[in-house]
Amino acid sequence: MNESIALEGASGISASESRGASRVNLPFEFRGSGGEYFRIWIVNLLLTIVTLGIYSAWAKVRRLRYFYGNTYLDGHSFEFHGRPLAILKGRLIVFGAYLLFVFAAQINPLVVFILIPLALFGVPWIIMKSRLFQTRMSSYRNIRFNFHGTYGGALGVFVGWYLLVVITIGILYPAWVKKRVEYSLDNAAYGTQKWSFLTSTGRFYTFCLITFGLGIVAYAAFIFLVIGVAKGAQAAHGYGPAADIAALAGLGLGFWVMMLGFAAVALAIWGYYQASFLNASFGGVQIGGNYLRSNLEIAPLVWIYVTNLLGIVFTLGLFYPWAKVRQTRYQLENMAVDSDGNLSGFMADATPKTSALGEEAGDFFDVDFGL
Amino acid sequence: MNIPGRYFDGHSSAPLEATLEFDADGMVRVHGLPEPVAARVLEVEISDRIGNVARRISFPNGGVFETQDNDAIDAALDAVRDVVGLRHGSGLVHWLESRWQVALASVAGVVVITVAFLVWGVPAIANWAAGVMPASMDRAIGSGSLDVLDRVAFEDSNLPKARQRELKAMFTRMTSSLDDGHDYELELRDGGGLGANAFALPSGIVVMTDQLVELSKSDDELRAVLAHEVGHVRGRHALRHLLQAAGVTAIATALLGDVSSISGILSAAPALLDAKNSRDFETEADNFARQWLKDNHVAESNFDAILCRLSHEEGSDAGKKDFDFFSTHPATGKRASCKAAAEAQEPAGNPSEPTQPAQPAEPSNPTELSDPGEQQLPAEPEPAPIS
Repeated sequence: MNESIALEGASGISASESRGASRVNLPFEFRGSGGEYFRIWIVNLLLTIVTLGIYSAWAKVRRLRYFYGNTYLDGHSFEFHGRPLAILKGRLIVFGAYLLFVFAAQINPLVVFILIPLALFGVPWIIMKSRLFQTRMSSYRNIRFNFHGTYGGALGVFVGWYLLVVITIGILYPAWVKKRVEYSLDNAAYGTQKWSFLTSTGRFYTFCLITFGLGIVAYAAFIFLVIGVAKGAQAAHGYGPAADIAALAGLGLGFWVMMLGFAAVALAIWGYYQASFLNASFGGVQIGGNYLRSNLEIAPLVWIYVTNLLGIVFTLGLFYPWAKVRQTRYQLENMAVDSDGNLSGFMADATPKTSALGEEAGDFFDVDFGL
Repeated sequence: MNIPGRYFDGHSSAPLEATLEFDADGMVRVHGLPEPVAARVLEVEISDRIGNVARRISFPNGGVFETQDNDAIDAALDAVRDVVGLRHGSGLVHWLESRWQVALASVAGVVVITVAFLVWGVPAIANWAAGVMPASMDRAIGSGSLDVLDRVAFEDSNLPKARQRELKAMFTRMTSSLDDGHDYELELRDGGGLGANAFALPSGIVVMTDQLVELSKSDDELRAVLAHEVGHVRGRHALRHLLQAAGVTAIATALLGDVSSISGILSAAPALLDAKNSRDFETEADNFARQWLKDNHVAESNFDAILCRLSHEEGSDAGKKDFDFFSTHPATGKRASCKAAAEAQEPAGNPSEPTQPAQPAEPSNPTELSDPGEQQLPAEPEPAPIS
C-alpha cells in the first residue's frame, strides 16, 4: 500500500542525459487543495452511487488526473492518461470472473482449490501488468513513462523470494522488501531513459533491524510495566476478580496515560519504518544524470497520519479529501530531483504508443489491488 | 485571441513557449514554433477541466499544447462550438465540482441514499436471498448453539417428566401442520441465571425454561410464546440476520475501503442498525404469533399477559429506559397493552372465546409508555440470534 500511494503521486520522475557541470536541486510541488478536491470527490462519489458504481471508472480517472496534474516538477505538471471506458471494461470483466467463481464454488466447493495456483501464478502477472499500466498512463512534458519488468522477474520476486523468506524464517525479509521495490523502480523508464535503483540491501537491513529491535524493546517494556502495575495493585487490593477490577479502577488516569504513551511509542516506531522505507525506496532512484531525493521525517509523518485518522473518524469520512491532499503534499514536498540541470533532453520511447494491447491489458488489471 | 502556454512535440521533453489560437473557420493553431502546428478543432483532443489542473490540447501529430488558462480555453471553445459542431456538456461535471452548494447537496444525497439503502435495501435483499437458500442452511447456522448453551447456562429441566411430555406433545400438535422444511422440536431446560425465557434455534428447536413454564398461568400463554418462537423459525430470521450483517459490512467496506483502519471504529453504526433489524424481526414474530392465536381460537390476550408478566419481572432489576433505537426488542408498551391484558384476564377462564378484545399494536393509552411494562423481554442468549 505504501508503495502504491507513493507511486501514484510520483510515478513520474524526470532526469537528463547531458553531463552539466553545475547541479540543481528541483523540489516537487503539490498545488492541489483540500477544499477543491473535496468538491470533486463528493460529486463523483454521489454520481458513482447513483449510477450503481458504473461512474466509478470516470471518478477514478478524474481523481488521478487531479493528483497527477497538481504535481509539479520544475514548473511542469504530470498527466494521467487512463481511459474510463477501458477501466470500466476491465472492472466488469474482473467482476464477472468473480461472480463466476462464487457461482462455481456454490456448485462445487472444490473449485476453491483452483484459487491457490491461480493466486500463485496470477498475482505476479497482475502486479507486472498494473505497473505497466501505471507507468505508461503517466507522462511528464508529453513524454510517457514506461516499464520493462517481465513476468519472469515478477514471479521470481513475488513468489520465489517469498518462498525463500518463509524457508529462512524471515531472515531474508529485508532483502525481499528491497527486491520488491527494485522490481517496480529499477524496471521503470522515462521515455527512452531507464531508471536505476541504487539503494543497497544493507540499508534495508539496517532500518528493518532497527524497527524490529525497537519493537522488541517497546514490547518488553510494555509487558514489564503491566506486570509491575498488576503486582502493585494486587499488593494493595488482594487477589480475586473483584480485587482486579478494583485495581483497574484504581489505576484510573495513570493507566490511560500509560496506554496513550504506548500508543505514541508504537506510532513513532511505525513512523520510523515508514519514513525510512520511503526514503530508501525513492531516494535510490537514478534517471540518467538525475537523482531522486526523499527526506521524509518521522514526526510530521506520524502527526499527519494521526490527525488524518482522527479527522476522518470524527467527520464520518468527510475529512477524507483533506487527509489525502495533506498526505500527498507532505510526501511530495519532501522529495526533490538532484539534477544535472537539463530535464529537456529526454526522448520519447517509440514502443509504448504502438502497443495498444499492452495498455488495454494494463487497464484491464488496474483494479486497485492496493499492491 | 491567443492563449499563452507551452508546446511539447512528443519526441523530446523540451518545452517550447507558444500561443494557441482558435480561428473562425474551425482551426486550432499553435504560434511561435519553428514549424507551425495546426489542426481542425474536431481533430484535437481537449482534456476535461478538473480543478485548476493545466489544460492539454493534444494534436494528431503527437504534440501537446499545455496552458494554465482554463477560462480562456472554455471561452474559446464556447465561441467555436456551434461553428464546428463540437458536442456540448463535457464541462458539466466540472460545473458541478466547482460549486460548494452542489458539494453540500451531494453530501446530503450520499447520506440519504446510504442510510435508506442500509435501512430498507439490505433487509429486502437479505429476505430475497434467504428465500433462495435451502432449509439446510438454517440447520447449518444453528448447529452447536444448544450444546454451548447447555454447557454455559442451562441445567436439565426440573419439571416432572409427565409435564415435560405433555408440553412437548402440545408443541408437536402446534407445529405438525407446518410444512416448511424445519424439524420443530421443544426442549425444556432449567434456565438458571437466564430466568424465564424462550428462544428458537434456526433449525426449528425451540428452547423454553422451567422458569417460564412456572411464570405462565395457562398453557395458552405458553402456546402464545411458542407461536412467537415458531414465527422466528418460519421467518428464517437467523439466516436473514446473518445476510443483513454481511451486507452492512460489505457496504461499510465499500464506502470506507480506502481507510481500512477506520471501518473498525465505525462498526458501531452497523451495530445500531442490527438492533433495529432485530426489533423488526421481533415484530414479525409477534404478528405471526397473534395470527396463529386468532386462527386457533386462542385469545390474543394470553400473549399480552405473558409478555407483560415477563417484562414486569425483568423491569425490577433495571431502571434503564432504553431509547428505542438501541434495543434489540420493541418496547413492550408497543408490543402489548398490559392494562387491557390484565382486565381481559380477570373474567377469563374462557381462553377459547374468540371475541376477546384484540390488542392494538400501539398502546391506546399514552400513560402506558411510562409503565414498567415498557421494558424489553429478558435479555436473550447471544449464540442464538433468534429469540
